[in-house]
Amino acid sequence: MKLAFIVIDDSELDCFVSRKIIEHVDKSLNVKTYQNAELAIEIIKDNPIDNSEGLTIILLDLHMPIMNGFQFVEEFEKLPIQKQKKYMIVVLSSTRNANDISRILSYNGVESMLEKPLTLEKLTSLVHRVQQGLN
Amino acid sequence: MSEKIKILYVDDEPDNLVGFKASLRLDYQVLTAINTQQALSCLNNHQDIKVVFCDQRMPNVTGVEFFEEIRISHPLPVRILITAYTDVESIINAINKGNIFRYVKKPWLESEIIAAIDEANKFYIANSMLFIKNEELQRAYNELNKFAYSVSHDIRAPLSGILGAINFAREIDDVEEMKEMMYLMEKSLKKLDTYIISMHDYYSLQRGELKIADVDFNKLMDELKAIYTVLSKTNNVEFNVTINQNEVFRSDEVPIRLIFNNLLSNAFKYLDKTRDNRSVDVTVEVQKGIATLHVKDTGVGILGSHIGEIFNLFYRANSQEAGSGFGLYNVKSALLKLNGQIEVNSVMHQGTTFKVTIPSI
Repeated sequence: MKLAFIVIDDSELDCFVSRKIIEHVDKSLNVKTYQNAELAIEIIKDNPIDNSEGLTIILLDLHMPIMNGFQFVEEFEKLPIQKQKKYMIVVLSSTRNANDISRILSYNGVESMLEKPLTLEKLTSLVHRVQQGLN
Repeated sequence: MSEKIKILYVDDEPDNLVGFKASLRLDYQVLTAINTQQALSCLNNHQDIKVVFCDQRMPNVTGVEFFEEIRISHPLPVRILITAYTDVESIINAINKGNIFRYVKKPWLESEIIAAIDEANKFYIANSMLFIKNEELQRAYNELNKFAYSVSHDIRAPLSGILGAINFAREIDDVEEMKEMMYLMEKSLKKLDTYIISMHDYYSLQRGELKIADVDFNKLMDELKAIYTVLSKTNNVEFNVTINQNEVFRSDEVPIRLIFNNLLSNAFKYLDKTRDNRSVDVTVEVQKGIATLHVKDTGVGILGSHIGEIFNLFYRANSQEAGSGFGLYNVKSALLKLNGQIEVNSVMHQGTTFKVTIPSI
C-alpha cells in the first residue's frame, strides 16, 4: 500500500513542519503542500483517477482565507465517489471551538481530527492506523 | 420644542374626535381614528406617533383590548385610556398588566390631557433611548463574540505552529534546514506581533476621543517615507509621494497616520512579483477644506467578488499569510471617526487604487 500526503494550511511554517515530520517518519512518502485550499481542490479535481492501490491523506487546516476547511470539504464531496475513495481527509487544526469540531466531523468525507501542533507521535500513530486498516 | 409631538386619538364618536383635535391641534400634531382598524393603519403609516389615546367604550373592541393588541405590534407609543367611571375592574387589571400608561377620565379637561401628554412624552423618550442603547449593546456584544472567536484562533494558530516547530527541532541535524525553520518561525512571530498591534489600533479607534490639531501632510509623509523607502528598495518598487497643501487642515493625525500605514503596507505587501515596473504612488491634495488622498499600486489586485467584503472585520481576500483581517476594517473605523470616505478601484494583475477623502474639522 502506497501512502501519500497533501497538506493544506495557510501558514507557511505549519506546511514546512508538517512536511518535515512526514518525511521524517518515512522518506519515501510523497508530500505536497498548499497554502491555498482553492488551488488544492482544483488540482485534485484535474488529477485523473488512477487505478493503483495508493491512498492520499489530506491534512486539512480549518481557518484559512479564500477557502476554509469547511468549504474545501463541501467541494471535495462533490467529486466522483471513485475519486473521493483515493483520499482520506484528516483535519489538523488548533481550534477548541466545540461547534467547529462537531460541524467538521459531521461530514462523511472527514475521517478524523488532530489537534495542532502536529508531532512525530501523532503522525506515526495515524500512519500505523491507516496502514493496518488497509491491509 | 422644534417639532410637535404626534398623537393619535381613537374614539367611535365623531364629535369627540373633532373636539379633541380642535383644542389640541395648535400644540400637537393630532391624528384621529373612528375605529381600531383606522387606528392600526394610522400607526403603521406614522411610526413616529408617541402617544395614543383611546376611548374605552367602543363597539366591537374595548380600548383595553385594543391596547393589549398594539402593545405587541407597536410597543413604542405610550398608551392612555380615556374612560368614564365604569369598567373599573378591567381598567385596573389593564394598568397592572402594563398595557396602559395611565388613564384620563371622561369628560376630560384640556389641562389633564396636556399633563398626560407631557408625562407620556418623557416616558417615550426614556424608553426609546433604552431601545437604541439596547440595540447598540447587542451589536457590540455580537462583535465581541466574533472578536473572541477570531482572536483566540488567530493568536493560538501561530503559537501552535511555533510549538510544533520547536518540538520537531529536536529531530533536525541539518543546520541549513534548522535555519530555514528559524526564518519561518521568525516570520510567524512577526505576524503575531503585527496582529497584536492592529488589535490595539482597533481598540483605540473604538474607544478613543479625537484630538484635533493642525495637520501638516508634508511632515506626516516625511516620517512615513522613511519607513516605506526601505521597503520600496528591498522589493524593487518605485515609490512616489506628491503633496499639495497650501492651506490649514485640521483633524486628528493619529487616525490619518493609521490610514496611510494600512494602505501603504497593503500596497507593498500585495505587490505583483511577476512584473517588472512596480510602483506605489501616493498623492495628497488639500483643497477647500478637503484632503483627498490616493494610494495607487501596481500589485496583484482584488477580485471583483471580494471588493464588497474587504472592509469587514477579519475578512482576508488573499491567501498570503501576512494579513490579519484587521487592516482595512481599522481604516474604515478611522474614517468613520474623521467623517471621511473611501473608494477602491482594482483590476486583477494591474493594481489597486484607494481614494480617501477627509474633511477638515
